[in-house]
Amino acid sequence: MKGMNNLILRVELDNKKTSTLKISDSILEKYLGGRGLGVKLLMEYLPPNIDPLSPKNVMIFATGPFGGTNVPTNGRFSLVTKSPLTNGIFYSNSGGSFAISMKKCGFDGIMIDGALSNPGYLLIDDNETVTIKEAKELWGLDTEKTLEKLKELEGDRIHCLLIGPAGENQVKISAIMNDAARAFGRGGVGAVMGSKKLKAIVVKNGTKKVEVNDRELLQKFVHMALDKFKVVPITRSSLPKFGTSALVNLINVLGMFPINNFQEGYNEKAALVSGEEINRKLFKGDEGCFACPIRCGRLTEAGGSTGKGPEYESVWALGPNLGIYDLVTIAQANYACNQLGIDTISCGGSIACAMELQQKGKLDREDIKFGNESILLNLIQSIALKKDVGAEIGEGSANLAKRYNSYESAIQVKGLELPAYDPRGAIGHALGYATSNRGGCHLTGYMAALEIFAAPKKIDRFMVGGKPDLLALKQNQKATEDSLVICVFAGWALGLDYYARFLKAITGIEFDVITLTQIGERIYTLEKLFNLREGLTKEDDTLPLRFLNEPLKEGASKDHVVPLDNMLQQFYSVRNWDHEGIPTKKLLDRLKIEY
Amino acid sequence: MVIDDSIYRVFRKIGKHLVQLGYNTSHSGNISIRSGGKIYIKRRAAMLGDLLLEDLVECSLTEEDSSSLIASTELGVHRAIYLNTDAMAVIHAHNPYCVALSLIEDEITCVDAEGFALYKKIPIIDVKIPAGAYYTAIEVPKVLKNYPFVIVRGHGIFAKGMTLEDALQYVTGAEQSAKIRYLTLLTGKPLLRDFSQDGDFSDW
Repeated sequence: MKGMNNLILRVELDNKKTSTLKISDSILEKYLGGRGLGVKLLMEYLPPNIDPLSPKNVMIFATGPFGGTNVPTNGRFSLVTKSPLTNGIFYSNSGGSFAISMKKCGFDGIMIDGALSNPGYLLIDDNETVTIKEAKELWGLDTEKTLEKLKELEGDRIHCLLIGPAGENQVKISAIMNDAARAFGRGGVGAVMGSKKLKAIVVKNGTKKVEVNDRELLQKFVHMALDKFKVVPITRSSLPKFGTSALVNLINVLGMFPINNFQEGYNEKAALVSGEEINRKLFKGDEGCFACPIRCGRLTEAGGSTGKGPEYESVWALGPNLGIYDLVTIAQANYACNQLGIDTISCGGSIACAMELQQKGKLDREDIKFGNESILLNLIQSIALKKDVGAEIGEGSANLAKRYNSYESAIQVKGLELPAYDPRGAIGHALGYATSNRGGCHLTGYMAALEIFAAPKKIDRFMVGGKPDLLALKQNQKATEDSLVICVFAGWALGLDYYARFLKAITGIEFDVITLTQIGERIYTLEKLFNLREGLTKEDDTLPLRFLNEPLKEGASKDHVVPLDNMLQQFYSVRNWDHEGIPTKKLLDRLKIEY
Repeated sequence: MVIDDSIYRVFRKIGKHLVQLGYNTSHSGNISIRSGGKIYIKRRAAMLGDLLLEDLVECSLTEEDSSSLIASTELGVHRAIYLNTDAMAVIHAHNPYCVALSLIEDEITCVDAEGFALYKKIPIIDVKIPAGAYYTAIEVPKVLKNYPFVIVRGHGIFAKGMTLEDALQYVTGAEQSAKIRYLTLLTGKPLLRDFSQDGDFSDW
């Protein structure tokens, strides 16, 4: 298919064998690339019920047909694997320039299984040249030092995916860092790479150009798209000016900014960590991914250190959710997570759980309490190194809370810690958390777009009617976007009407909005089948009890709980899943899923 | 059939707007949403500007059922749109400037800045028998796969959206652009700036 190389690099680490896997046009037309292609390959190549941290787990990094073209924000790519945190499907998405370099080297993706006997890294050079090199001197280094060292070894013009000590130690909330500052976050994907003793993946010298069917037509549509980026306030101004932390004040005013492990939804001190405050106190410059007109990334300086971020979710997770409102502390904690290779949301969520356990008298550590910022950096270090209580926290909040017999203190879904929107303040968003295939995730079907940002139009955030249908559509659309692959923020200005036209110009194949939506539905359904295969059930499509039973006491979302039961059966029905959440045969036939 | 009060409130609000804007006669036009695997649509011959709770009809999404006894005449078009596009809400209105221009043009190009930025152009299709659902159910969804709205020549507009409010904006936006184009045509004077010329939308 034009726009793709139809080629995946296959790496079998057990015997250090590399080969290429040809991907047919018919598969690409059904799954596009990125997340969709990853899910399809994972289903095929990963045997059922494999321990995610065993060598047999498979990791697939894949770009899509937009990658390397001039479509705005096309620099992103997806990772699909089985998560050690959720034991289910995991898809993660990252930006930067790695994906484009990989594609220029002739590969749409990389599929890795097995494990090395000694630490190593994978080097992909131009002309599809691939080698596995020793990483003895890299093992143990933090992500920044690893990147520096790799640049010494392989030259400055490289792009890397790498893990820090947290990934090496198979910490279940570890991330894979992308050029040391961006991340494949969530789900403990760093631990999967660490279990394979794979310290890094390096790409360089790619020269292949992406074949586009009609460049002139694509250019025409891209111009129209760029005009839209300029007129939509979120892409023109809010994100470039304040980064994602522009959300802090807004979400707080709505009473759904989680404080102290989701015990409250509003705190007037939240303004101290807002996007405006970050600009005043930390901001040094902005930064963007390949081909991105938005440039939401923040380059910052805090307490004598410099780094990237913190983004909205990180500000919250390492700040107000722990009762911490000091921006310098939060930024330094964020830098530490990046250096050690830890997911910031799960890190904050798991520490918050530990603080609640201490508050309830279950965890005998007086220092681990809400608001005690002095312990944060040491705690993050101990999580990465699996030391003391850090070893327990690094297992994720669900495991931690179970250990202390207080499961309700773990604010997670399917084992994945929730992000920075209290679900009691937006019940469609809440249903999205409960039904996300990868667990507690806000991006899988971002209902906040409608319920909070009125995009495309505002709907009552507490209303039930219509939410399951809208959520299913949003989930399908997102699965498509993650497979094309395009940034979620492009969606503020564009939509599938633009993406269908881009794709048609690139591939020469008739795609329209409905075919793209159906592709998303196919991907989402296949992910669900994967989860069912791995033993997840309807009981996993739920929320922590406090959201179902305990209304917030203050703020603009006061007195609300999530009527999940009302919505869940309707959601299954809308999706053509049976009452146990199992996709029907009729649906699989319609979507042409062979299973 | 129990209809969620919040759904009724939205229907009532949007219906009222459509009539107040002069897009429909007292009893014409129809609006619907897709919810819980069903379609909720205005009852046939109900007053769009003053909908009662009982004027909302729950219908099957996938096939004709007995609700067709009382549901809007255009239910078949709405159903075809839901089954063949990503629509979550549909509005059908008879807004006069869109209808007027559809009788003299093959598509409405947006000469105004707002229309140009938001819609680029408004497609028009010819349907053998525009009223009722028989032909429109076949032709309208084809266009709505890639456009938010379409005008059936001489009849009216069908607009889809994520919500009824979303679809309403497409209906009102199309009418605004059509009105501006119509009024500028009336003057007979050349446009000092024609926004539809700011880009080549022939392939859009």
